[in-house]
Amino acid sequence: MTPTRLRRAAIAAAAAALAAFPLLSDNAYWQNLAIMAFLLAIMASAWNIISGYAGYVSLGQSAFLGIGAYTAAIAATALDVSPLLTAPLGGVTAAGAALLLALAGRRTRGIAFVIVSFAFLELAAIVASNWSSVTGGNHGLALPLPTWDSDYLNLPFYYALLALLALTVAGSWAIRRSRLGAGLVAIRDDESKAEGVGVPAARYKTAAFAASAFPIGVAGGVYGYYVSFLEPAAMFDIVIALQIVLAAHLGGVGTLWGPVAGAFLLEPLAQFTNQSLSGPDAGSWRLIIYGGLLSVIVLFFPKGVIAELVARVRRWRGAEPPALPGRRLTPVPRALPWTPQPSPGTGPLLVVEGLTRHFGGVRAVDGCSFTVERGSITGLIGPNGSGKTTVFNLLDGGLRAQAGTVHLAGRPIHALPPHRRARAGLARTYQATRIFPSLTVLENLLVPGRGSRAGSGTGSVAGSTTRAREWLEFVGMGEYAGHPAGRLSYGQQKLVELAQALMLEPRLLLLDEPAAGINPALVERLCEIIRTLNRGGMTVLIVEHDLPLVLSLCDRVHVMAEGRVLASGPPGRIEHDPAVQDAYLGEHTTAGAAK
Amino acid sequence: MTGLAQTLAFGVLVGGVYALAASAMNLIFGVMRIVNLAQGAMLMLGAYLAYSLWRATGLDPLLLTLVTAPALLAVGWVTYYLFVERARTTDPPTALVTTFGLALITTGVIALIWGNEWRLAGPGYAGRSFTVAGLHLPQAQVYACLVAAVVLGGLWLVLNRTWLGRSVRAVAAGPEGARLVGIDVRRVWAASYALGVAAAGAGGALLSVLYPFTPSSGYHWIGLMLSIVVLGGMGSMAGSVLGAVLVAVGEALTSAYLSPGWATAVPYLVIVIVLLARPQGLLGARLREDMSRA
Repeated sequence: MTPTRLRRAAIAAAAAALAAFPLLSDNAYWQNLAIMAFLLAIMASAWNIISGYAGYVSLGQSAFLGIGAYTAAIAATALDVSPLLTAPLGGVTAAGAALLLALAGRRTRGIAFVIVSFAFLELAAIVASNWSSVTGGNHGLALPLPTWDSDYLNLPFYYALLALLALTVAGSWAIRRSRLGAGLVAIRDDESKAEGVGVPAARYKTAAFAASAFPIGVAGGVYGYYVSFLEPAAMFDIVIALQIVLAAHLGGVGTLWGPVAGAFLLEPLAQFTNQSLSGPDAGSWRLIIYGGLLSVIVLFFPKGVIAELVARVRRWRGAEPPALPGRRLTPVPRALPWTPQPSPGTGPLLVVEGLTRHFGGVRAVDGCSFTVERGSITGLIGPNGSGKTTVFNLLDGGLRAQAGTVHLAGRPIHALPPHRRARAGLARTYQATRIFPSLTVLENLLVPGRGSRAGSGTGSVAGSTTRAREWLEFVGMGEYAGHPAGRLSYGQQKLVELAQALMLEPRLLLLDEPAAGINPALVERLCEIIRTLNRGGMTVLIVEHDLPLVLSLCDRVHVMAEGRVLASGPPGRIEHDPAVQDAYLGEHTTAGAAK
Repeated sequence: MTGLAQTLAFGVLVGGVYALAASAMNLIFGVMRIVNLAQGAMLMLGAYLAYSLWRATGLDPLLLTLVTAPALLAVGWVTYYLFVERARTTDPPTALVTTFGLALITTGVIALIWGNEWRLAGPGYAGRSFTVAGLHLPQAQVYACLVAAVVLGGLWLVLNRTWLGRSVRAVAAGPEGARLVGIDVRRVWAASYALGVAAAGAGGALLSVLYPFTPSSGYHWIGLMLSIVVLGGMGSMAGSVLGAVLVAVGEALTSAYLSPGWATAVPYLVIVIVLLARPQGLLGARLREDMSRA
């Protein structure tokens, strides 16, 4: 059997065993253990969506357990139905709260997010204990005892949580496979780059946060009924939030099954320590054990204990994929996989006027103006520090200009956020490549998606995959589609990043030093690719230090010095322009004064 | 009117101790870019040490800062090499989770040694007040605020008037550059971390006479310190002092005019609102790695 089929069979067998277990044994201890393990697995799996895939670590995800539990309990009392029926309402409220928090916190990143999540949990606990008219405050809220025959014992809870676990894992799988999932991992790897290739990062994170809160909220509804008594300290418990983080790290952060496996490992351990430790010091020892586990695991197995052990065994058995560099590249095809549509409007494709950006006292870009003609290959050259890359960062929105306008095909784009500029038809590559190392080469191309310019960010994944393979073939990287992008050589990464930019089907392609740091054969190839793209109708703007390359490739060249364009013209004339020679050979002051 | 003035005066007094606790956390963040969630537990460790020594010797708990600060300096030094050194090399959220683990371990150890009962040191002046212009100022609060000001002043002198302080500020500005001019960056990190923990030890001695505490009071203090640091601006000492007074006054006002139950929500509300609305805080510089461009 292949590993995939073996895995499927194992999962099916485990699911069947779990489904049949309570029918075979009515041991209440084991049933309780299973129920608690399901609960933790649901929470860890849901946590993984925002914190594993998108890399936004939440220390307060258990807040949604409490929110779900209280909502379901209060609704059940008000409607006089079983809390099992109102549990989905708990999920809706939890997702709603997550949505609000994420919308308000669009700009929080990194540790700020961790702190907000922690504060949100504490705040929820305080609200629950102070809002006593609804929640019963610190006296707690008692739920009715189950109405079903006592012979069934815990079965309804058991199956409700098992089903919810299955749905959560299925949902996590679907998200990871979708464009949303690729976008989330891209955000984890490099958020601003993701925005640069058209990922609406704020919207994706909000969606992921709500998707993470929903199953936890539903589980909270069921769990509240199971324990039949709600009090703020127990329902909004930092220790539960911690167990979630711990479970995910035990199994594997960012993997589909890791959090589930971790929960199934951790819960028995938790129960065991509950029993074997007793007396007044039991709580203290538990804190020490959890704290120690957390620190050690997070520090020494950042990707998860099981995940890293598996990787180590693979390496030891030599089952790693063979090294990638050194294979021959295929010749550049003559035809493009896609024909650029003529851009609307008349006049130059890109019009930049008075662009300005200062950093403190440094005038990196200072009233820079130039145009890029339709169908041209335009070069932007200038000595080090003249502001070329900053201009690129201002064009793609990575930096905000302090003054000046940018029009693409007649449309002002200088006020748009980066992902909207990408969708408006602007794509770029970086001086030091910035592809997403944890995604495969193919997935890297799926992050921008296809036909994205038309605004249909949700085009079919299958169609995108076909197009992505075509572009990979075009740049000569077709063979590497399934490989992790982080393992490619530098030159190969440059080609992949170029293909990624092409997936945006740009009107204007910005290339930042495409030839820097790669071997001469690859430079040849890049030139050929650029010429082919241009013949196919694509407009290209290049920043490059290799003057002979620029002069041979470009129709028109702008020369920058001290943050502005000081000369423009065809390559032949630029070469002999005294102002340009001044700029390159020193005498900056005269060059600046000449302007 | 006197009611309001009384509340404000009390808030400002409380703010002194808050400022010391928060500055300790902020020093570590400013130099190492690590949010040390163990600071709350370290504060408790200082409080329990002061309490035990006061019970054993009858010495003034506020003066015992002279003992708790060096003791915690040692604890900080050891934990730096055990945990923090490695955490520093990971990404910030991972480091933060690690320090939380350290907080749990410390809390557990404190509970093993001292138990879970509520404690409060009660020197002779506890319960007495000064009366100034019709305002009642609890003597313990006044003395604690003064000691906090002295410790903060000492910290400021160390950072601004000594070679160690200069190295610390150089490393805070950029470890690479500091290394190039011959600073042993690793030792500076260890020293700053230990100094931050020592300041928490001093703060713990102060709060041992002010508020009853259990080992898990540390969690409440994590929230408080975070809110102050976030409000004042991460890495800004002056911001921490300003933030401390604002949070303390906010708590006092909420407690007086709404209910003491909601006063505990103030720090967390401050955190959520500030991080959502003005992530760089009042006096802090924007950090590129934390915030998206606005």
